[in-house]
Amino acid sequence: MTALPDTAAAPVAGRAASGIRFENVSVAYGTHTVLDGLDLTVEPGEVMALLGPSGSGKTTALRAVAGFVTPASGRVLIGGRDVTGLPPYKRGIGMVVQSYALFPHMRVADNVAFGLKAQKVPRAEIADRVTEALELTGMAGYARRYPRELSGGQQQRVAIARALAIRPGVLLLDEPLSALDAQLRSGMLAELARLHRELPDVSILYVTHDQVEALTLADRIAVMDRARLRDCGTPRELYRAPRTEFTASFVGNANLMPVTAGAGDGAVTFAGTELAVRGTEGVATGAEATLCVRPHLVGLGEGPNALRGRLAELQWRGATHRLYVEVAGHRVMADVRELRDTPAVGDEVTVHFAPEDAVLIPVGAGTDG
Amino acid sequence: MLVHSNKARAVIWTGFLLLFVPLFALPFAVILAASFATTWSGALPSGPTLTHYQDIAKGDSLNALVTSLLTALAASLLALAAGTWAALAAQRLGGRGKKVIDTLFMLPVAVPSVAVGLSLLVAFSQPPLLLNGTRQIVIIAHTVLVTAFAHQSVSAALDRLDPAYEQSAAALGARPAYVLWRVKLPLLLPSLTAATGLCFALSMGELSATMMIYPPDWLPLPVQIFATTDRGALFSGAALAVALMAATLLVLFGVSRIRTRASYR
Amino acid sequence: MASLTQRVRLGAPARTRVRALPRGLWALPPVAALALVFLYPLFLLVRQSFTPDEGGPMTAAYSEVLAEASFQDALVNTVLIAAGATLGCLVLGFALALVVAFVPFPGARALGRFIDIFLAFPSFLITLALLFVYGTTGVANGLWTSATGAGSGPFDFLHTPWGVLLAEITYFTPFVMRPLLAAFSQVETGQLEAAASLGARPRRIVRTVILPEALPSLAAGGALVLVMCLNEFGIVLFTGAKDVVTLPVLVYTKAILDGDYTGACVVAVVNIALSVALYAGYRALVARTGRREGGARRARAQQ
Repeated sequence: MTALPDTAAAPVAGRAASGIRFENVSVAYGTHTVLDGLDLTVEPGEVMALLGPSGSGKTTALRAVAGFVTPASGRVLIGGRDVTGLPPYKRGIGMVVQSYALFPHMRVADNVAFGLKAQKVPRAEIADRVTEALELTGMAGYARRYPRELSGGQQQRVAIARALAIRPGVLLLDEPLSALDAQLRSGMLAELARLHRELPDVSILYVTHDQVEALTLADRIAVMDRARLRDCGTPRELYRAPRTEFTASFVGNANLMPVTAGAGDGAVTFAGTELAVRGTEGVATGAEATLCVRPHLVGLGEGPNALRGRLAELQWRGATHRLYVEVAGHRVMADVRELRDTPAVGDEVTVHFAPEDAVLIPVGAGTDG
Repeated sequence: MLVHSNKARAVIWTGFLLLFVPLFALPFAVILAASFATTWSGALPSGPTLTHYQDIAKGDSLNALVTSLLTALAASLLALAAGTWAALAAQRLGGRGKKVIDTLFMLPVAVPSVAVGLSLLVAFSQPPLLLNGTRQIVIIAHTVLVTAFAHQSVSAALDRLDPAYEQSAAALGARPAYVLWRVKLPLLLPSLTAATGLCFALSMGELSATMMIYPPDWLPLPVQIFATTDRGALFSGAALAVALMAATLLVLFGVSRIRTRASYR
Repeated sequence: MASLTQRVRLGAPARTRVRALPRGLWALPPVAALALVFLYPLFLLVRQSFTPDEGGPMTAAYSEVLAEASFQDALVNTVLIAAGATLGCLVLGFALALVVAFVPFPGARALGRFIDIFLAFPSFLITLALLFVYGTTGVANGLWTSATGAGSGPFDFLHTPWGVLLAEITYFTPFVMRPLLAAFSQVETGQLEAAASLGARPRRIVRTVILPEALPSLAAGGALVLVMCLNEFGIVLFTGAKDVVTLPVLVYTKAILDGDYTGACVVAVVNIALSVALYAGYRALVARTGRREGGARRARAQQ
């Protein structure tokens, strides 16, 4: 798409790289705050995933960008322009919703042309841009079909083509894959990644509750919970070094163990056992903290940071075994390569993890109050 | 399936038919049969004839049929416009405003049609609006009475319409008027045609308010049917009733054809 | 994820702020039109009822009309016939809807369409048909006289309140059946099968499973039919009976045949008050069932 000449006719904000900025955006419905003081910047050309459970405010944030909710306070900027008071049709954004909302009374080509016609793009140009958008999404052969004649995945592509046809600087995707089955979903995920490579200027705000989608697609992930932004960083940062307990448990699986910071750097105490961790910055000696270790980084047998306990449960998951080991009243999860000789439930087992795989999270980090 | 034994089911169905057929299906069959008869005092009508229909074709009855068709057409289109407009406006208002508009537009259903007719008679027999004795007053009365049904069915369809359509259209840069014309109204088309059909049928059969206000030169079919049967010509009345039902059914059928086409698209 | 309802809710405040002024303005034309052709005439009708032709106190027309025997008869007739017809419609409608929904037979779907068409036809057609069947020279009496050789048949109830009652039950039963069929379609077959597998007999299933589910629709349908019966004019007019006078017929007689507009307005006001009060109750019932069904659907969606 970048190879094509930009037309002066595009009446809405150009698709020249434009980012999104939330400045202390709050949205309330009645007395119920659904988005609380969001500060977030999506850089031009960046893919930002808004990740969180239901009711975390992530969809509200997206809808504030689209103009379907008006912030009670704060500003929303698109490409540096304050759009807070603008109606949706003046914002020049591309949006794909969960249900796709393809107009059932229009053929695929008319659906894709809808935004262009609404914005009075010259007739001659519309046909070219429809073709271009359909080719980009691999739907060129379906222009004469009606939406109900398409599969879920095809409808999805048409919805994306429709949003891209108006050449938006910003693309909003609201749970775009949730209506697809698991197999189609991973295919579409690759497709979205390819689209973004072809349209590197378009900023994408991607709302999802699925951590795999966020980890796969996003340049950065903003983790949301209970109307607030809890954490923000690259997928690697969030996964390797979560700053909050919520991030640790929502992005990937995590063992979260209550520990007390010891005197020396990198030393903590868990249930009377001295453990070595990556670092203890920000946690005072003797203070409570949470230790986060990913289950697949916990090994079976003796080693550094060994913990002795009783095997409470054993699950075979094909390539791996998931062990639940009860250590001083806490369940430690370990994902290990499929075992030849499986220990029996009730056996004494020892698990261990490397100090550099153990991240210390200060108690209360990223929570309210 | 509530009843599992075949015998019990057969008994229930028989009972059902014994109740349903004489009560609901028979009336129409009786009227149809009577319209082709001259006398009926046995099990079956006798003296088969087409005179009743030939009379329709040449007398005042044809005028009455045309009058009814024109009245119903005008009333149903006016009602559709008013009801749709009100339903759209009510949806935009939301909350209490919507409730007030919905209640106002449903009110004519609760008020006896005879009273609606009387109130129009009282209101428009005096200045500033002197409509008593005109055909407009009949059309106004019918419109008032059927608008409620148009409003209700459009309102219900709007509630069912996924707001994602409207919002996606807005996000694509379409102004509200464009969204209404190119997205919302086309999606509502099946409901709109259904509402028009219903309004047309109700107006075709309206008798209560019409009896209060019809002028001598604008005499709708139901009034003609009443006048005919009242002077004892039951069989001619039956033929007129068949004409009324046939015209209504024809329009309903035509409308449902448009409807299936609209929803198929 | 954010449900549809949530989206609608969240969408509302945005529109409030951006276009508060035009929104109210848009509602004005249809409301103004309704006010001109419905509310204003209604107001004049009420005012006329308080403006006696011969002067005197404002309520003079009321005290005069309310004291008339014809009015009292009409009021009693109207209420009794409406109540009886409603009861009949409820019993008959419930039984018929039960069969259609739960003992389905081929053609049950076509029957639903038939009911819809039935609702679109004017009520007086029923009376017209009954005149052929039970009229003095109709089918039933004709059969009787030719079989027994008697001078006249035994069926002579058409011009009595019973004739009106029969016609109204026939005409209005579908109005009960339609909401009932909708409610019955909400009853899950799983519930019926579970009840049957636990040994409940059909009668018990109807009483303990189906009836509670249908009760709100039954009440709403009953209230609607009651209002429509109170307002029914065509059926009574077509029976041509001088001794069956209901409120709507009295309005017609006073205004058109007697030219007593003020008296007609008084009767109309009484009739309107009765119907509107009942209709308000009906709307409240419908709103409650609507909420209940909505709640149930939401609960099911969350599972």
